[in-house]
Amino acid sequence: MKSSYLRAGAALACAVALSACGGSDGQLYLGGQISGVTKAGLVLTNNGGSDYAVPPPPTGTGAGEFYFPNLISTDDRYNVEVKATPDNVSKCTIENPSGRAAYHVYTVYVTCLLKTHPLSGSVGNLKGTLELVNGSDRVVLEAGATSFNFKEVAQDSPYTISVLRQPADQTCAVANGSGVVGGPVSNVSVTCTP
Amino acid sequence: MKSSLIRPALALALAAGLAGCGGSDKAEFTVKGTIAGIVYPGAVLTTNGMEIAIAPPATPGALVNFEFPNKLEYGDVYNVQFKSFPEHQRNCGTPTNVIPNFNDTAGRLAEINITLQCSVNEYVIGGTITGLTGSGLQIANGSTGGQGEIAVPNPPTTTPIPYSLPARVPYGTSYSVAIIKQPAGQVCTVANGTDVMREADVTNINITCVAAPS
Repeated sequence: MKSSYLRAGAALACAVALSACGGSDGQLYLGGQISGVTKAGLVLTNNGGSDYAVPPPPTGTGAGEFYFPNLISTDDRYNVEVKATPDNVSKCTIENPSGRAAYHVYTVYVTCLLKTHPLSGSVGNLKGTLELVNGSDRVVLEAGATSFNFKEVAQDSPYTISVLRQPADQTCAVANGSGVVGGPVSNVSVTCTP
Repeated sequence: MKSSLIRPALALALAAGLAGCGGSDKAEFTVKGTIAGIVYPGAVLTTNGMEIAIAPPATPGALVNFEFPNKLEYGDVYNVQFKSFPEHQRNCGTPTNVIPNFNDTAGRLAEINITLQCSVNEYVIGGTITGLTGSGLQIANGSTGGQGEIAVPNPPTTTPIPYSLPARVPYGTSYSVAIIKQPAGQVCTVANGTDVMREADVTNINITCVAAPS
């Protein structure tokens, strides 16, 4: 007698637990790989259903795996769409977004492209050859130059502009040379003396 | 009696058959392949008593084809080694995602095609940090050279503490280490933060922190 109550109770608990998982109570994962996701904000949907906010991978590289919390069933059709993107991303594209599940789906690839911004500044009183660097990116300026441009940099990346080689008989100083890119950077100013 | 005649006759027939196969028409194999990542001159490859010098490609790092002058015969063993590496590139070998194929027997595969790769020597950049008591100090090397937060030493100390950046810098590449976020209540300055990488770890990028002016 006792054991049959237990069994019914267990079955009920089981059913509740399953329905809590939600959706169609399937048993197959739907997911794949993401890249370019360095901060929160990526929202995916399957078949236009409930939103899944994809957490950025813990490695900090922006690349990793994702799985929808709702499982799907064999023969279910799936169609993954991007509903929202992180604010440092220009756009996200999906490879293999749709199909019919035969087994766990690991083949949905979401690739997000980080926004990039110009990194530039002004130079005053340069009378010789000056070499500026932002890490591995080098810019050589000749006498009379009044501005410079580095390669574009990804949003939220740091920049550290400084002098690698001073002009002969002059010393150039960099103002506003370092920071984190939130938009186009144009306030870097280099002044050479005497 | 009968069998003793058959055996030499068979051997003769076999020898004739083998001779028919061959002579100058023996299968020959060229030892060749590709090397990725060569930037500097100085590479010399060797195998089976042959040597070839590999010049850097016009586009640094582009794929270079190589081919040894003399062909090998079926069954010859080859083992292609670097007799010397390119300058500033001592890490040469099979790429990590490829099964090594520089040492094999000619004829086991229809064609010999060796995959090699070289990379430019990389070194750690860092130095010491002195007087850090505030949290949140972040340093970076340009936009792609890595960045890191430097934790407050625990227990606090006035002794210089060694630190290094997370990313290494290849030989010949510039670096510019600077502060992108000052620690709470302090101002830190960087000495020797900018230079071009040579053939050694950089340990003189020293950071000094003092109380922020109020």
